[in-house]
Amino acid sequence: MQSTKIKEISYESKKIKKGTIKYKINNFPDYLKSWVKTFSGALTLFCLIILIVIPFLSTEQSYVEFFLPHFTLAMIFAILAASWDLLTGISGQISFGQSIFFGIAGYLCAYLIDYQGFPIWLSIIIGTAGAVFFSLIIGIPALRLKGPYLALGTLVFSIILLKLFLLGSLSEWLFGSEGISGLPKMSESSVLTYFIVFITMIITFIAIIQISKSKLGTIFKSIRDDETGSEASGINTTKYKIIAFMLSGVFAGIAGTYYALYNTAVNPTGNFGVTISFFAILMASLGGLATITGSAMGAFFFIFVEYILIELGAADYVQLIFALTLILVVRFADRGILKPTLERLKDLWDVLLGK
Amino acid sequence: MGIILEVKNLTKKFGGLTAVNDFSFEIKRGEFVGLIGPNGAGKTTVFNLISGRDKPSSGSIRFDGVNITGLKPYKIVNLGIARTFQLVRSFKFLSLLDNISVSCLSKRGKAVSKKIGTEEYASSILTSVGLVDKATIPPVVLPHGDLRKLQIGKAIGTNPELLLLDEPFSGLSHEEKVGITDLIKKLHADGVTIFMTGHVLRELMTLVPRVIAMHQGKFIIDGSPEEVANNKIVLEAYLGRGAGFA
Repeated sequence: MQSTKIKEISYESKKIKKGTIKYKINNFPDYLKSWVKTFSGALTLFCLIILIVIPFLSTEQSYVEFFLPHFTLAMIFAILAASWDLLTGISGQISFGQSIFFGIAGYLCAYLIDYQGFPIWLSIIIGTAGAVFFSLIIGIPALRLKGPYLALGTLVFSIILLKLFLLGSLSEWLFGSEGISGLPKMSESSVLTYFIVFITMIITFIAIIQISKSKLGTIFKSIRDDETGSEASGINTTKYKIIAFMLSGVFAGIAGTYYALYNTAVNPTGNFGVTISFFAILMASLGGLATITGSAMGAFFFIFVEYILIELGAADYVQLIFALTLILVVRFADRGILKPTLERLKDLWDVLLGK
Repeated sequence: MGIILEVKNLTKKFGGLTAVNDFSFEIKRGEFVGLIGPNGAGKTTVFNLISGRDKPSSGSIRFDGVNITGLKPYKIVNLGIARTFQLVRSFKFLSLLDNISVSCLSKRGKAVSKKIGTEEYASSILTSVGLVDKATIPPVVLPHGDLRKLQIGKAIGTNPELLLLDEPFSGLSHEEKVGITDLIKKLHADGVTIFMTGHVLRELMTLVPRVIAMHQGKFIIDGSPEEVANNKIVLEAYLGRGAGFA
């Protein structure tokens, strides 16, 4: 009975998604033209062009093998942060447990490649699906919790999972503190890897933004803004919270498998650590809750701040600086940095164009 | 024409406090009924029990013959009961149109949206409550009267057969009250059964042909506004012991 309910939920959510994207696909050329003419569209296109050009700026080995992968890493975290923004910023389900999807997908993918000899792409798909399925099992009871209790519940569960893989009696069966290593990279060429992640990031962002703008997104936001009111409007809030959880899990899971392949290894603290969840929250919050694209901004910001600090030999200060940044953001820029910056830029743009 | 709402021996206890005590009544389809009682009488609790927000301690509620006691609120809405709240609620970060759209996306609302489109349905409701010119703005800038209209619009979106209005006039200016009254009258004329609470007798008396009175969770009387206004127990409840007549 449970499985038919799950199938019904995933079918309904796919149905709703198709309904709104179809129009845009059918009218794509015109839609693209009108989008590029808008300020945010033009700016986004500009950033995308920069991202496409970056891998080709230099052919020196130090650039391609050491500097470029940081962009790849930033994009992996952008996907993770966007998945959190969908769950918390759009749907209002405060989650401190993105590491749950991230870690399970990464481990499952690593296991399938290393121990079962599955091809990479199949392992990514099964790893992600496994993460989503597993999270449903935890998620359904957890969704009885609301607000800070849900936040706490997801945090606690992510820590339980971490300890299970690291220390518990089961950890021997779960590859222990060493985890699984010797995984292949996504591709021999770090430029190709970069583009695979880049395209995935684009698809992720388009998908989440379209969801946000769709009827499903309206329902998610109604649950965020007033859950009782949403129920009183006839919405089965439990069902939609589960859908939000699952959608978030898909993207966080993909990020998790990509991360495993990026590091060519998985281990408990690296993939199930609480810092993974915190990074997602940090990056999305800096960019701006519910903006989705802010997650990309936040991801690039934090990955490069971390890179700079490590290069300067101040690796110990990374977490301190991140925490301070979060405090500053919460205190002074609770809408995040993206929207206010865009608004200022747009005003400047209008002035320059003489409007 | 039949009984649309049948409430039998409804009781709700919150720990030591009995908020609703052995409360029974029937409402026929198409009626326009008021529920009065001083503050704290239990009117909102009765609404919460009917709409599914709370579960009764004992007793039963039947809607159109179907037992809805203890069902989840969204299921009850999709059977045909909608309600508004005493303290106005809205989806703060959504436009007015989106606020209405949410109800249009309920199972019951979708039955209508399928034929005319969700946006068209939501717009037509916004028009009928007189807020269509503010369709794209969020509720935060609206005056209280408009928020009450928005609430009623949200309730209409689910295409209800029975509408529970909890203190729809509280906090409104005289003009705003007239606007809401006209809206409610029109809904009733369209065939919606209306069950309304209030604690100011004067407003209700001119509007509804039948009033149920309660006090401290208990049923007092069910009759015409004149009968109820002259009832000794009702007067004592509002004015204190010793009040003789209006």
